[in-house]
Amino acid sequence: MWKSYLTSAFRSFKNNRGFAAINILGLALGLTAFLLIIFYVSDELSYDRFNTKADRIYRVNEDLKFGNNEVFYAVSMAPLAQALKEDFPEVENAVRLKNAWSARIKKGDVTIRENKLAFADPSLFQVFTLPMIEGNAVTALKEPNTVVLTESTARKYFNSTQVLGRTLLFDDHLNYKVTGVIRDLPKTSHFNFDFFLSMSSLEESRENKWLRSNFSTYVLLKEGADVKQFEGALNGFLQRHSGAEVQAELKMTYSSFEKSGNYFRLNLIPLKDIHLKSNRTGELGPNSTVQYVYIFSAIAFFILLIACVNFMNLATARSANRAKEVGVRKVLGSSRSYLIAQFLTESILVTFMAAVLAFGAALFLLPLFNQLSGKEMAVSAQSFIWLLPLFIGLVLLIGVSAGAYPAFFLSAFQPIQVLKGKLSTGFKASGLRNFLVVFQFSISIFLIIGTLVIYKQLNYIRTKNLGYNRDQVVIVQNSYELNDQAKLFKQEVKRLPGVLNATLTGYLPTSNWHNTAMFYKDASLDSKRSLFPETWGVDEDYIDALGMTMASGRSFSKDMLTDSSGIIINESAAKFLDLKEPLNKTLFKSNGGERTESNTKAYHIIGVVKDFNFSSLRDNIGPVVLFLDANNGALSIRVKTTDLKKVMAQIEQTWKSISPNVPISVSFMDQDFDATYRSEQRIGRLFILFTTLAISIACLGLFGLAAFAAEQRSKEIGIRKILGASVPVIVRMLSVDFLKLVVLAIVIASPLAWFLMYKWLQDFAYRVQIQWWIIAIAGIAALLIAFLTISFQSVKAALSNPVKSLRSE
Amino acid sequence: MLSLQHLSKYYQAGGNKTFVLNDLSLDVDEGEFVSIMGPSGSGKSTLLNIIGLLDEPSEGYHYFAGEAVHLLKEKQRSAMSRGYMGYVFQAYHLIDELTVYENIETPLIYQNIKGSERKALVADILDRFNIVGKKDLFPSQLSGGQQQLVGIARALIAKPKLLLADEPTGNLNSKQGDEIMELFLKLNREDGVTIIQVTHSEKNAEYGNRIINLLDGKIESSRVLNHQ
Ligand SMILES: Nc1ncnc2c1ncn2[C@@H]1O[C@H](COP(=O)(O)OP(=O)(O)O)[C@@H](O)[C@H]1O
Ligand SMILES: [Mg+2]
Repeated sequence: MWKSYLTSAFRSFKNNRGFAAINILGLALGLTAFLLIIFYVSDELSYDRFNTKADRIYRVNEDLKFGNNEVFYAVSMAPLAQALKEDFPEVENAVRLKNAWSARIKKGDVTIRENKLAFADPSLFQVFTLPMIEGNAVTALKEPNTVVLTESTARKYFNSTQVLGRTLLFDDHLNYKVTGVIRDLPKTSHFNFDFFLSMSSLEESRENKWLRSNFSTYVLLKEGADVKQFEGALNGFLQRHSGAEVQAELKMTYSSFEKSGNYFRLNLIPLKDIHLKSNRTGELGPNSTVQYVYIFSAIAFFILLIACVNFMNLATARSANRAKEVGVRKVLGSSRSYLIAQFLTESILVTFMAAVLAFGAALFLLPLFNQLSGKEMAVSAQSFIWLLPLFIGLVLLIGVSAGAYPAFFLSAFQPIQVLKGKLSTGFKASGLRNFLVVFQFSISIFLIIGTLVIYKQLNYIRTKNLGYNRDQVVIVQNSYELNDQAKLFKQEVKRLPGVLNATLTGYLPTSNWHNTAMFYKDASLDSKRSLFPETWGVDEDYIDALGMTMASGRSFSKDMLTDSSGIIINESAAKFLDLKEPLNKTLFKSNGGERTESNTKAYHIIGVVKDFNFSSLRDNIGPVVLFLDANNGALSIRVKTTDLKKVMAQIEQTWKSISPNVPISVSFMDQDFDATYRSEQRIGRLFILFTTLAISIACLGLFGLAAFAAEQRSKEIGIRKILGASVPVIVRMLSVDFLKLVVLAIVIASPLAWFLMYKWLQDFAYRVQIQWWIIAIAGIAALLIAFLTISFQSVKAALSNPVKSLRSE
Repeated sequence: MLSLQHLSKYYQAGGNKTFVLNDLSLDVDEGEFVSIMGPSGSGKSTLLNIIGLLDEPSEGYHYFAGEAVHLLKEKQRSAMSRGYMGYVFQAYHLIDELTVYENIETPLIYQNIKGSERKALVADILDRFNIVGKKDLFPSQLSGGQQQLVGIARALIAKPKLLLADEPTGNLNSKQGDEIMELFLKLNREDGVTIIQVTHSEKNAEYGNRIINLLDGKIESSRVLNHQ
């Protein structure tokens, strides 16, 4: 019995090579896309799960509202970890991490700039699963100036992992002793460092300050601990510890602080949620969003659905051809269940072949897909533990669900009807088939519109007027290493031909530097009339060098001595302060400590700079206060030249003349900016890829249907031609039915796509409008693609020799 | 073995009934070879289909092999047709995807006959019909006469009690037609297969022992032939 199912299935493929190929190819394409997305999604979902205690690890977040300002921090206070351990019995352990940003490390004669360093408490290895190859996991990070390296970092510096006791020279003056080597961090860790420096090396880590937040704090709860209860107790705990400081700094009790609408709270986020659900100030690395996981899962599902629909459509369309076979088999005594089993065998076989192709293609394409998606996914022998069941499951699920309808449909034919020729063997207009075509094209059009909107939004971000000019700005990232000579470096660079201007400060719209301070409208420091802006220390060339525009007032000037107490605020700060005429108004800032009027400093506003973007374009522009300061974090150089190489060489030469031993580290402002949006660009590219795939698969199905309709109607076409129908008339006749369905799909999909994309755009503070022409383009594109697909078949049929098609009947 | 009494078949067209078979009665004994003739549209195929249990009458009584067929359920009737009937069609109706061998074998598969037994049965009939050399060919590679030969072999493979043939020679030239008729005669005489055939050819009809003429769904005349 099985053998007869299989042989007739194979014969049926052989005799209908074209349709079998379309079926298998379409399904294989869909499955390939599905698998790649599954890889992607499962990678996204697997973040931090390598930690054996992941279920019990939480990061402590801090929410702050003061005056008009709300900030959500991923970081918290230095004494928090220790205090949690002491106050709460359910806390088994706690660990702090602090980004150390960057260091120069000597390897023999060369100095290498490293950017993946963090300070960490010794408990790091008790909380996270970071297996040690060398060293003692308990004591490794206890002593000051000790460091634990990852395996590949150890090899990079020492060509070996047996490096306990060796030292590394940091920034030319600090020796760190290697006390441990751990395996490289999995790619699926939300933080990714090569060097873990002992927290005790950092003076700040011992400060008992509750109003400063600089540390990522993770707690490991005891087994069975009540998380809700623990989280609920955190605010009372915070009040106990920070009350005195609030009183001293803000001149109010904790409760009056809260009564005036402010808050200061701690909350928890499970470790496993950080990668997909956390987007706070001070994350240890860029995270992803769960939104994309949902969107891609939906796309994967839809692509598979489109491919299955092809399968069903072609099978039922071919039913006319198979009706005779069904009739004969039934007359010969086949029961309905035999026939159903036979057709299901066929569809499972097609699915199996498609799945083999798809798994092969997915594995083959994985490196390419990695490049596109910025991931480092790999398939190992272990992956087959879940790939194999997935394979079998998919084959059965798709084979049965796509084959079920044709199987039941075909097997229900009445034999005499068929044999008498009563069952119209023409291309029956089937309601279901039409519905499925509309369904497929609705999804395709939806995806086209979605892609266009996303593409347009991403393009908008890239080209938006940001309030500063990021083109032709070279940034020397490590000017601070010149110490006092940074100023000299700036003067020398400004003199170079091709250099228009330069500004010395680490506070840049594209940098990660953040500093905040409280400003008050009144000398009495009334917090109701306060502003909590970013405070950026800049020099007098800042506005000009970065190409910012003044809305009113003037920029800082070297010649005005009073400018040391002058500030420039951005438009947003003026709005926050509710100042109609901000120029020459005075703002007050506490000097810290005793909060008396004599202990405040007055600043007058000398200018208002037009708003410029400095965080993500997803967020609104917050208030910024610029003041004159000798910050030497980085030197941003505006150049105007056709020979950038030459100017760069000269800048480097200037650097070398001042500091021959320290290598210069440069970047370009536009590239720094693009880096901020790299993940969004990637998502955009993936979107385009999958949309193209979805449309191709839908068209493949349409191609098959059109071919089939043309074949079925070949006799009719022949007669019409003999009667004098022209080729265009016949092409129109064959195309119109399908195109009507595509038009219907446009009508259905457009409003839906418009609505959902509109919602997506709400996430961006700066966003494009969805214009009517986006929908028009999507509709016309779908119609055009469909028309080309169909007319290929129609024209072929219309051009064929009518005598031939008639003789064969 | 077969008795039809006051059998009618009609179709509802608008308000009035169109009779295809009208109060028709017919008895066929085991071992008979009956030819049905009549103009196109007179109801020959309909009658044959009803006898073959592929179609149901609208009214009347239908007995076959001692069973009251008109009282049977769908399932029972199809089991009965599987066990007793063999069909031969004007258009052969071979399965294009299967070889000659497999086409002949198919009814046996549906009757759950074991593989080794199937082999023997098919080999036997291929031999009898002299088509052993064609067993691996597909229907499209055969002439019309050869295809009909395969069709008959397939109809006979499960040893039916009754062979039903609807214009079996309609698509064949007269020489091929004669061969098929000789074969029917031999099957009827030597193997005792009961045969009911529909034909347009007086000459072919005379191979049978009885000729029934249908007109407008009624038996217009019936004549018994005495061959010696
Ligand atoms: N489903 C149907 N509905 C209406 N009339 C039918 C149907 N099936 C067959 N007929 C009519 O029954 C008559 C007899 O058909 P048939 O038995 O095939 O005749 P024959 O085989 O003698 O040529 C024809 O006139 C045909 O039009
Ligand atoms: Mg007929």
